Amino acid sequence: MDKDHNNRLEAKKLLLLSILAGRIMLGSGAETYRVEDTIERICKSRKDIKYADAFVTPTGIFASLEFKGEMLTYLVRVKSIRIDLNKINLVNDFSREFVNSQMSIDEGLRILRSINKTKNYNLLTKVLGGSLGCAFFSLLFGGSLLDFISSYLVGLAVILTVNSIDKYKMTFFINNFIGAALASILSIFTIKIGIGKNMDIIIISSIMSLVPGVAITNAIRDTMSGDFVSGLSRGMEAIFSALAIAFGVGLVLNIYFKGLL
Amino acid sequence: MTIVKQLLFSFLSIIGFSILYGTPRNSILKTSLVGAMGWISLYISSLFFDSKILGTFLAAVTVGILGELFARYYKKPATVFIIPGIFPLVPGAGMYYTMLALIEKDFISAANKGTETLFIAAAISIGIILSTTLSRSIKRVKSKN
Repeated sequence: MDKDHNNRLEAKKLLLLSILAGRIMLGSGAETYRVEDTIERICKSRKDIKYADAFVTPTGIFASLEFKGEMLTYLVRVKSIRIDLNKINLVNDFSREFVNSQMSIDEGLRILRSINKTKNYNLLTKVLGGSLGCAFFSLLFGGSLLDFISSYLVGLAVILTVNSIDKYKMTFFINNFIGAALASILSIFTIKIGIGKNMDIIIISSIMSLVPGVAITNAIRDTMSGDFVSGLSRGMEAIFSALAIAFGVGLVLNIYFKGLL
Repeated sequence: MTIVKQLLFSFLSIIGFSILYGTPRNSILKTSLVGAMGWISLYISSLFFDSKILGTFLAAVTVGILGELFARYYKKPATVFIIPGIFPLVPGAGMYYTMLALIEKDFISAANKGTETLFIAAAISIGIILSTTLSRSIKRVKSKN
């Protein structure tokens, strides 16, 4: 009787572990099918679990498993998604190891919690890297050395700002809008003080850090694997991010062309 | 000469963006190689065809196939290679020029640019779909044997 009770606790913990793994992946920008697959694999890897299933959308995870005729179900809400490819990779490695070894569930939970805390690069490296990406992008578009420098500076300011207003938990729409508006204001400014030459190129390359490339890619991959709910919701995210950027740039340019800036 | 420049700049640009997205340290160069190959296929196709949409499609297919191959070989999720690799293809410029035309009340060229932007986004998607579906069916056939 006591042993049975222990086993039941273990089954609960297993479900919690699989959901934690799924939550880290989803919160780092993994595709829906990969998250569902990971949860199912982790649950089914232990004995006595005959049935396990997960339903994942970009905003939440439902998972349940059957243990000796009893159904256990959990639901978690995922509120913010922040792209971190390293975490996806680490959880992927972890789940492969967990499934193929007899690792204890407590040990697994400990590893997952430490994965959740890892930071591959600190904020400064990320910002500097991202703005370097923007700057080289301006050269791809045929910009000059001056454009390179001003895209670097504008990109730096945009990424820093978007990162620091992130903690006020405004919606992604406002974040993108502010980022795009700032990018256009600063680009116009660099032209005015003479360190930039082509306004178009500087604006385009400094909004590159905002454009919804990940959302577009994941929306399509989700739809193709039959996760239509996820595909639709990520598609909406992509469309509205693009609209926010367009509004931000449009507002500032409109003011600029009227001669008010 | 231009092709070497394009290759170098796209490679460096994707290194920057892959740091922003937290790509694992040992995959940054591979990811950037995938992305640079994608950009180069866009560039080469622009020499032969006068269509950005077709070029983007070919580039996305290149990124998708290389990404899936690298994922298989280095045992990493394909997302790690595909997301930064697709980055330079995303039509940020198209969005900008559409908005610019709208502000100048030039609705005809806004419609032109807008449709092109939409179709470029669709081309990226179809390119990725093609390679992902291919790789999954190969996997399925292999596991059946």
